[in-house]
Order: sequence, then C-alpha cells, then structure tokens
Amino acid sequence: MRATDAVPVVLEGQNLTMRFGGLVAMAEVDFTLRQGEILGIIGPNGAGKSTLLNIITGLYKPSSGTVRLAGERIDGMPAHRIVARGIARTFQSSRLFGDLSVIDNVVIGRHAHMRSGLLDAILRRGRAQAELHDAAERAATLLKAVSRDLYAQRHRPAAELPQADRRRLEIARALASEPRVLLLDEPSSGMDDADTDALMADIRAICAERPNLALMIIEHDMRLVASLPHRVLVLDYGQKLAEGTYEDVRQIPRVQEAYLGRKVVRHAHA
Amino acid sequence: MFASTPASNPAPAAVASPAVTAPRAIALVAAIEIAGALFLRQFLLAEDWRVVVALLVLFGAALVAMQYRPALEARIETAFADQARFAILLGLVIVLAFPFVVERSTYALHLLVLAQLYAVLALALNFQLGSANIPNFATGASYGIGAYASALLALNWDVSFWLALPAAAIVATFFGFLLGVPSMRTRESYLALVTIAFGVVIHQLLNNLDFTGGPNGLVGIPVPELFGHSFAAPLVIFGYELPSQANFYYLSAVLVGIAILFARRVHDSRVGLAWNAIRADELAARCQGINTTWYKVLAFAVDAFLAGFAGTIYAFYVGFISPDNFTFLVSVTIMTMVIAGGMDNTLGVIVGAFLLTLLPEKLRAFSDYRILFFGVTVIAFLMIRPQGIFPQRLRRYGA
Amino acid sequence: MAAQITQQLLNFITLGAIYALIAVGFSLLFGVLNIIHFSHADVALTAPFLALAIVPVLGGAFGVAPLPVGFALAALLAVLVTGALGGALYATIIKRFRNAPAMMALVATVALGIVLRELIRHVFPNGSNPHAIPRLFTGSIDLFGTAVPLFSLVAITVSVLCVGSLFLVLGRTRLGLHIRAVSQDRDAARLMAISPERIFLLTFFIASAIGALGGLFFAGYAGIVRFDFSIDVGLIGFSAAVAGGLGSMPGAIIGSLLIAGIDTLVQATIPNGASYRLVFVFLLVIAVLVFRPSGLLGRTVVEKV
Repeated sequence: MRATDAVPVVLEGQNLTMRFGGLVAMAEVDFTLRQGEILGIIGPNGAGKSTLLNIITGLYKPSSGTVRLAGERIDGMPAHRIVARGIARTFQSSRLFGDLSVIDNVVIGRHAHMRSGLLDAILRRGRAQAELHDAAERAATLLKAVSRDLYAQRHRPAAELPQADRRRLEIARALASEPRVLLLDEPSSGMDDADTDALMADIRAICAERPNLALMIIEHDMRLVASLPHRVLVLDYGQKLAEGTYEDVRQIPRVQEAYLGRKVVRHAHA
Repeated sequence: MFASTPASNPAPAAVASPAVTAPRAIALVAAIEIAGALFLRQFLLAEDWRVVVALLVLFGAALVAMQYRPALEARIETAFADQARFAILLGLVIVLAFPFVVERSTYALHLLVLAQLYAVLALALNFQLGSANIPNFATGASYGIGAYASALLALNWDVSFWLALPAAAIVATFFGFLLGVPSMRTRESYLALVTIAFGVVIHQLLNNLDFTGGPNGLVGIPVPELFGHSFAAPLVIFGYELPSQANFYYLSAVLVGIAILFARRVHDSRVGLAWNAIRADELAARCQGINTTWYKVLAFAVDAFLAGFAGTIYAFYVGFISPDNFTFLVSVTIMTMVIAGGMDNTLGVIVGAFLLTLLPEKLRAFSDYRILFFGVTVIAFLMIRPQGIFPQRLRRYGA
Repeated sequence: MAAQITQQLLNFITLGAIYALIAVGFSLLFGVLNIIHFSHADVALTAPFLALAIVPVLGGAFGVAPLPVGFALAALLAVLVTGALGGALYATIIKRFRNAPAMMALVATVALGIVLRELIRHVFPNGSNPHAIPRLFTGSIDLFGTAVPLFSLVAITVSVLCVGSLFLVLGRTRLGLHIRAVSQDRDAARLMAISPERIFLLTFFIASAIGALGGLFFAGYAGIVRFDFSIDVGLIGFSAAVAGGLGSMPGAIIGSLLIAGIDTLVQATIPNGASYRLVFVFLLVIAVLVFRPSGLLGRTVVEKV
C-alpha cells in the first residue's frame, strides 16, 4: 500500500539541528512520516542518520527544532516517556539483554504497558503476577509470529543466539511495546544475502499485520532500500540532500556523489 | 565498565533438564537440605581447627564437583524447582528445629543471629548489586543508621523495640533516597566512590557527634519484650529450655524470611525485570520505556530499608553500638558476600553471608591470623568460582 | 598571622604532593588496564616497612651508617622492591580479574589489600604497633623570607619530578607510546607487536614504585607508620583520582590538591577540625561528582549508539 496525503502524519520533524560543541551533526532537517509508511534513511557514514534516530527517541535533545508525534511535541522528553508514547527502536549493534532469556527480553519490551511497582510486587502479588504472566503470554505469541525458530529458543539466554536471530529478537522486543512508529537502525548489518532476504520478508509480514505501523529504516543495503521503503530520505553531512522515491532519488547526481563517493562518480562521468 | 558478564554459566533451565521422578526429587531435596543443616551444625560446634578446615575442604570439594559436573547442578536445580513446596516446608522445619540441635551452645546461637543479620544485609544489597549491578559501598552505613536511629528512639523517648523497628527502617530509607539522589548522575567507579564517600561521612559523623555518643557509641539499649516475655530470658518451648539468644535467633529468622519473600516477589516482577535490564544495558533499558533514574534510586531505598531493619535488631540484640560496628570494611564484607555467594541468586547470597560471617569466627583458632585467612579465602573463592557459589538463574514462566 | 597562612599553604602543598604520588597510580592503572586496583595504597605503604626492615640489613652487611645515608639507601631499595611487589601481584592475582566484571576486580583487590595489611601486621616485628620513621630531612631553608622545612621542599620536589617524568615517559618515549597504545586498544597494539602483558606488568611496576615514594613521604610526614594507615591513604588517593577524573594524570594532581586543600583548610579554620576533616573531604568528593559526574578532568563518555 502506498501512503498518500490523505493518510495522517504520525511523526514529524521540523528544522532539526544538533550541535556537539563546535561540531554540527545535523542541520535543519525536516521529515514527515505517515501512518503505514516505510521511510528509508540513507547516507554515507557520519551523515547523521543515527543522530536523527537518537533525537527522535529522546537519547539526544536537539539543539533546535521540534519533533511531533501525532501532533504532540516530544523533543526533549526523556527516552522512557517517548517509548510509552509509541516509538520503539532497534540498535545498529544489537543491544539485547544478553544474560536474560529470549522471552524476558520481549517481556521487558512491554514495560511501558505494565503498571505494577515495587509495592504491588510485594503486597499485591496476585495482581503483579497476573500482569506479568499476561505480558509473558503476549510476548510468546509475538515471538511465535515473528519467528517459530526464535519461539523454540525462548528460554535460552539472548547472548547465545546467532546473529540473524538476535536481529529478529530485537525487532520483536521493539514491537512488544505496541509502537505506532518503529525505527530500525541498519537491521541488515552483518547479514549475508539469504539472511537479508529473510529479514525483508519478516518486515513485510510485520507491516502486513499492522497496517497502521509507520517504519523508519536506516540502511546501507541497496537491495533492501530499493524494495522496502515507499520513500527515501538522503542525508549527507547532517543535511537533507534529497527526498523521494528510490527511483527518483538515485537519479540525482549529488546523491550518487554523496553515496557512492566523489571519486567513483567522477570516474563514472569521465 | 560494570557491564555484566555474558551468561556463560551452564544455564540448566535452557538445557533439556534431566527428568527426575517425584519421589526421587523429594529424596534429593530432603537429602540436600538435611545434609546442609548437618554441615552447618558441625561447622558451628566444631572446636578443633582441623575439623573446621576439613569441613571447608568438603565444602570446596562440593563446589568443585558442581563446577565440573553441570549436569549434577542441573539435576539438583530441577528437583528443587519441581518440589518447591516440599523444599520450603522442610526448610522451615529445619530453621525452627535448629536451635534444639546445637547443644544449648550460646556461642553457636550467637553466631547464627549474626549470620542471619548479615544474610538480610546481603539480600538487601543483592537488590542493587545483584539485580541491577549498581555498586553500593554504603550498606554498612544504612545498617548503622538503622541501629542508631532505633537506639536513640529507645534511649531518649522510651520507644519500644516494636515501634523503633519500622521507624528506624523509615529513617534508613530516607537516607537511602538521600544517597540515591547524588548517585543518579554518576556511574560505575564514580558511583562506587559516591557510596564510599557517603559511608565514610556517616561513620565519621557517628564518631564525632555528641548525641550519637562519639566513639563510645550508645550503651544500655533496652532488651525487647513480647507479650511480657523478655528477650533476655531463656526461651522455653515444650519444656525444653533454650538459651536467651534463641529469642533473637527466631526474630532474625523471621526477618530473613521476610527478606527472602521480598527478594522472590520483586525478582519475579516488572521491577526485577527492569533492574535486570539496567544491569545488562542501561541505554537499551531506557529505550524499552524504563525510567532508569527512578529504578536506580529505588534500588538504593530498598537496600537501606532492609538494612535499617537488620540494624535495629542488631542494636537491641547486643545492647550497645559504636561507630566501629559500621565501617567501610563492613560494607565491603557485605559486597563480598553478594559477589562470592552469587549475584542475583537468593540462596547463593544467603550461603555467602553465612560462610563469610562464620569463617572468621571459626578461624579464631588461628587467633590473630583469621583476618588474613579471610582475605585469602575470599580471593581463592573469586578465582575458583568467579560466578559465585550459586550463579544467577534464568526466570521461568508458567510451563 | 601571615606566617601562619604561609605555614598552612606549605602544609597544603606538601600534603597535596604526597597524595598525588598515590593518586597518579590509581589513575594510571585504571587508564591502562581499566581496573580499580584498590590495594594500590596497601602496596604503596609496604615501602616504609620495607625500608625499616632493610636498614639493619644494610648496617649489618655493609656497615653503612644507619642515619641518614643508611635509611635513604634503604628507602630507595624499598621503592624498587615495592614496584616489583606490584608487578608480582599483578602477575599472580590481579591478572585473573582483568576481564572479570569490574565489581569483582574491586572486591578482589580490596581483599588483597586486607591480606597485605595483615601480612605486614604479622610478619613485621611488632607489626600491630606504630613504628617511628627516622627523620631524614630536618631543619629548614630560608626561601623568599620564609622558613621552608626541608622535608616539605624534598617531598614537593620529588613529587613534581616523579609526576613530571611520568608525563614525559608517557608523552615522549617509545615506552609511553606503547602504554598509550595498549590502553586505547589492546588488540590493535598486539597487532603492532606490542605485548600488552609486558606493558601491564611495567605499568604496575611504575605505578607501585611511584606509590611507594608516596607511602614513604606520607610516613615521613606523619613521623610514624602503622599497618592500617593504608586504609585512609587508599580512600583519599582513590578519591583524588576519581574526583579528578580516572585515567587523567592532571586530574589526579588537581584532585589531590583539592583534597589536601579542604583537609588543611578544615583543620586550620574549624574548631575541632581534625575530627571532621574526613567528613568535609568526602562531602566535597560527593559534591564534585554531582556536578561533574565523570570527575573534574574526566572525559564525559558519550555512548555511541
């Protein structure tokens, strides 16, 4: 399905600028993300892709500019509250809770949907337990849906999983918070072609099941970028270079230059 | 730097557990609990240092066996998990009956009271260090705050023990929050130093302020009473007279029971999971919606709360307290109990606390050399079994 | 009044210089091995005991006059032996905890400190009692119209020379380059044919030897030494290194001066200040870390996501 103007905007960034001391990591970047849309973010290393994700998820507070989730300003909000508002993410170098079981990882992903605090755990054990078991059941269902293989390994420590499964688990953990927006940071990094194909199929299945979920994917793998996202946003040196469909964007010389490297392009033009 | 180790332990829950039939599981559980109790009894009553050393060697051998035969460990683990109710019941019976089998030895009972108070302190710290990997070198200070608060209440305002107990815990918790606040911003070694500094400041204040009695501390803390029964009087049960220490033995056993209950309930809850997530990866935990700042401060408060209880019982048990009971080294000892016992493992932490409380006492045969042996033993344990006596376990859900 | 202030200033700088000798070791070891070596001060304070033990040996074997030459010589030997002790402890025990969780290494080195203290107590004759340290540098020198005790002058000079040459070694020499390489990336260093093990051993030797000087001067400053002096010295040295920012040598020096400063100030201005000095020192440490969570000169680590 193709997102059109009729579909409401769920996430919107305006004029986002991020300075670290004297270094400008991001300058006046705008973006919009509509319900059910997949937005690809590409650009060379150091272009500011991860910075953008860190701003959206509240790990960084932008030097200026705003981020709105369904109209509500979320920039400057602490990260844990942004998760509760409906934004979940994965990490470039997968950051699972390695010494906890696979299922625990997903249950922790549901943290924002649970309420019991310390006193509930001690004094109202029944309620706290019921809530946790409910979360564990939902987590099991989610795991099963994402990957049967992963479900079978649900009682193993996450650190023991092979690379591809760790990515899947990270996505499952992020989905456990029932987000409106899912941010994936280089999900295919370190994967071979077969794994990447499986990953793309997984992502398609996830989106098919959740038609309203909006996705933002940082990627280097051009096969993935060419086929999954509806739109692509190109960053270079912290600035927005271009935005549009993959077919349109790849025609722009500056994008080729930025992405493929100056030298290569010069040779190609020569 | 305080990132947790990858779970390299032979996680038995994940391995297909060897099937153990119910009667055999019950027999195994009973054998281990009774053997453990017998071991503790012999250890407490041993007077010849050679017996003490032989028992330690036996204990070490059992650990080595578990280290090299993970299947054995897994089988024991499964048996206890399957027969949890029986295990708890038998454990309760053993705890209740234990004072009757130590030959009315006041020294043995005294050591048991101390060991149980340290078990509570170690369980308190385990919430923090074991679950969330937050170092805290100030548990000894919270213990002291609890002791001083209750003693001052009793001495100056005639507050009874039973009222002083919760009051002191609240005071200690308040200070726990106080420590938690500056700790929020710091991490790792820097956080460790904040807690060390807090501990030293508390110790120095107790040592110098007038109303805490300075270096002499507080004396004449009244003996608690319950329904007219003074805790200084011998305890008569079914016509059998136990020394007066038995009163405090049962009191501290109740506190250990409460601490275990706390530990289990919190471990198997959203809070325990959140602490574990912080331990594994604080940043990733924030990105799962966990308010890491709050959970860190909460860990400090819980640690202080339980330590405050233990401090009160200690103060009323010995009757006099001085700053030297609550030094930096006390905090270090509690840290060692948690680490040597097994981070985030309730049983391991208790065993660690018993071992490290009783060891220096039983090594009195070596008189002056006991602290030296203590240090050597700690280093040896950390080198032989770095994951602790009983390492952390994975959670189980329903089936 | 002015003379008193000058006197206090001198005390402050002397104490700061002595603390710095201990603190740079903490910081150096953390920077290179990423380990908190909590028994560092215990190692350092074996030096005065070693020196006391070596004096009669020198006297007996070579007929060296016990004072001052004999003790000076013994102290120098003690510095070398202490350095070797640090290296030996690394090779036998601390090495095993290098890749363990930091808390475990910390507890293990705390236990190691207990062992060292107890060994001194039992092995050294009358080890539980305080022992007088011979005064090597007595009298004072007139500098710009003020009488500066020779001891202060020597302590400050040695500290400046030691820490200065440590800077030079780290910054300008091949060895320093190797140490920095290993501290930044062990594996990359190994690829450049630098043996990290050798560097770790050397770092322990250097840190312990410099610490030994600190221990000797601390004992000289107090006039006595006792087996448990190392507890306070360790806490203060560690605090100075952390408050300054672990891994930063200038940070360790600033931290030491800061702690020595508040220490001297409290003792000089507050009635009964001597009993409250540690309260103020550690409140200051907490305050520093609240406002600068990674220490004064510590690099704020921005976690890469």
